[in-house]
Amino acid sequence: MKINPIYWQEARVSSRSFRLPLIIFLCNTILSLAALLNMYSMVTQAKVTAEIQYSSFLNLYILVACIEFVMILLIVPALTAGSISGERERQTLNLLLTTRMTPMDIVVGKLMTGLSTMILLIISSFPILALVFIYGGVTIKDIVLLLMSFISAAVLSGSIGICCSSMFRKSTIATVVSYCVMAALVLGTAAAVRFGGSSGFSFLVWLLLLNPGVPFGAAMGEQLGNVRRISVLQTWTGSSLQRLTAGDWLWLGIIMQLLLAGACLWAAVNQVNPRRKRRWKY
Amino acid sequence: MLKVEGLKKMYGRMAALDGLCMCVNAGALYGFVGPNGAGKTTTIKILTGLLLPDSGSVIVDGIDAVKEPGKVTEKIGYVPDFFGVYDNLKVWEYMELFSACGGLYGLNARKRSWDLLEQVGLGEKSDYYVDGLSRGMKQRLCLARALIHNPPILVMDEPTSGLDPGTRYEFKEILKELREQGKTVVISSHILSELSEVCTDIGIVEQGKMVLEGSINDILNQINVRSPLLITVCRNKEQALNLLRSHPYVETITIRQNDIMVGFTGEQEDEAVLLKQLVEAGVMVCGFVRERGSLESVFMQIINHEEGMVLISEN
Repeated sequence: MKINPIYWQEARVSSRSFRLPLIIFLCNTILSLAALLNMYSMVTQAKVTAEIQYSSFLNLYILVACIEFVMILLIVPALTAGSISGERERQTLNLLLTTRMTPMDIVVGKLMTGLSTMILLIISSFPILALVFIYGGVTIKDIVLLLMSFISAAVLSGSIGICCSSMFRKSTIATVVSYCVMAALVLGTAAAVRFGGSSGFSFLVWLLLLNPGVPFGAAMGEQLGNVRRISVLQTWTGSSLQRLTAGDWLWLGIIMQLLLAGACLWAAVNQVNPRRKRRWKY
Repeated sequence: MLKVEGLKKMYGRMAALDGLCMCVNAGALYGFVGPNGAGKTTTIKILTGLLLPDSGSVIVDGIDAVKEPGKVTEKIGYVPDFFGVYDNLKVWEYMELFSACGGLYGLNARKRSWDLLEQVGLGEKSDYYVDGLSRGMKQRLCLARALIHNPPILVMDEPTSGLDPGTRYEFKEILKELREQGKTVVISSHILSELSEVCTDIGIVEQGKMVLEGSINDILNQINVRSPLLITVCRNKEQALNLLRSHPYVETITIRQNDIMVGFTGEQEDEAVLLKQLVEAGVMVCGFVRERGSLESVFMQIINHEEGMVLISEN
């Protein structure tokens, strides 16, 4: 199988640099500290009260998963927002475009680079998530569902990063705009539903399908049998959601976010293509 | 090999190319010359598929570059006016990357990379990081990169700008070698003396139009006819001047110590007759030569500079 040359080159360079091991070390240190502190507090409590709160172990799982999810949303745009603009800054993009590589190959290579770093990070954090298996309550299927929500969030944030990178000539501007777009998707849609939904604009709830936090929340809610989040949505927006379960939110959210990611990648390919008619330039 | 017709490109209201025509024969080393902003880089970008023209046609080795840009990339190797290198890659890794981008993998890619690095004199540097290379080495690496997919045409945009004379000389030698290998090379440069040494054909572009194109020898011969005759006289200078003043083909006479510079409009045969007349008039002629025109003088004439300025700079 022929590997995408862009991905191969980036993988070679990143495996040589200090950045990748540092990211993995820092992320896993944060996750481990959070998990160990949580376990320490449980054990201390058990020593005092002489009873074990098994729900605390699920809280540990929720805590570690939430931290990991937030890290994905924060790290992936940083990894991808400089990808195309960095090529422009190095003046290597035109060289790549004069080879057999198509704009699609270049964009996919860049996305693969960002995602592979993220997947490495997710896999390396497995042992910390697996702490919860010691006490039970979470199955492999639950972990797979969680992983899917992680991956869809990573694909979406990576695609947004690449799209911004293709639109802006400077990596710093592309990074800032990527974070703004991610904030608009995560916090903006939630705020719109919270305030718009209670003001009678219940249709705004569908905006949540674009929010990467929703599949994650739905996955967690389904695993923990906690439907509180969904009922909160019903409170905000009326009864139109009564037939939607947490599972529906999970799958609908993942599908919509992958579609949005596809649209971002298509826009990026279009931006990278030197032969398209340019209407505006940054 | 490469034929451009009626190429037009507008940037906003400014016409970068205004019906440019160009014809490069197979195996030619074509010098593409013009002042800044004449449209050279725009033309090169269109040739390499990096820009879409507003109108006109570009045929590269039988392929329409405007309609089938993907196929043209296989025919053209592009060396831009910047290095375009990844500093954190080693030289052989850089070559391997572009081999893969050109569809060449495995042993074939390594052999081809090695051969090219040897050809450009970087064989011993293959394990060095690109950022450790000098400017000249980086430029040679770019040349090797452009040749990795063995294209029949090499397009170079100001490849020797910023290089020291030694490196430029080496670069020129590589170009000659490539020509011997049958490559067609289009090279844009401002260093006209260098182009005149290596190029077989030349095209001068100004304000988006081709103003002069053809074999460099033909063009220099044409300009030679307009160049002055340089007559060195050992004795009887006055007699020589009297004869020249009354000669129908003589337009101007400039005296420079023992040399007489004559604006002479006659052909080669008329030059021979003039020499004979001078000798018969008892003038001792030590030297009689038509000053050779240079690419600079052609260029300056075309872009409306005074020829006198060119001659002064030549001396």
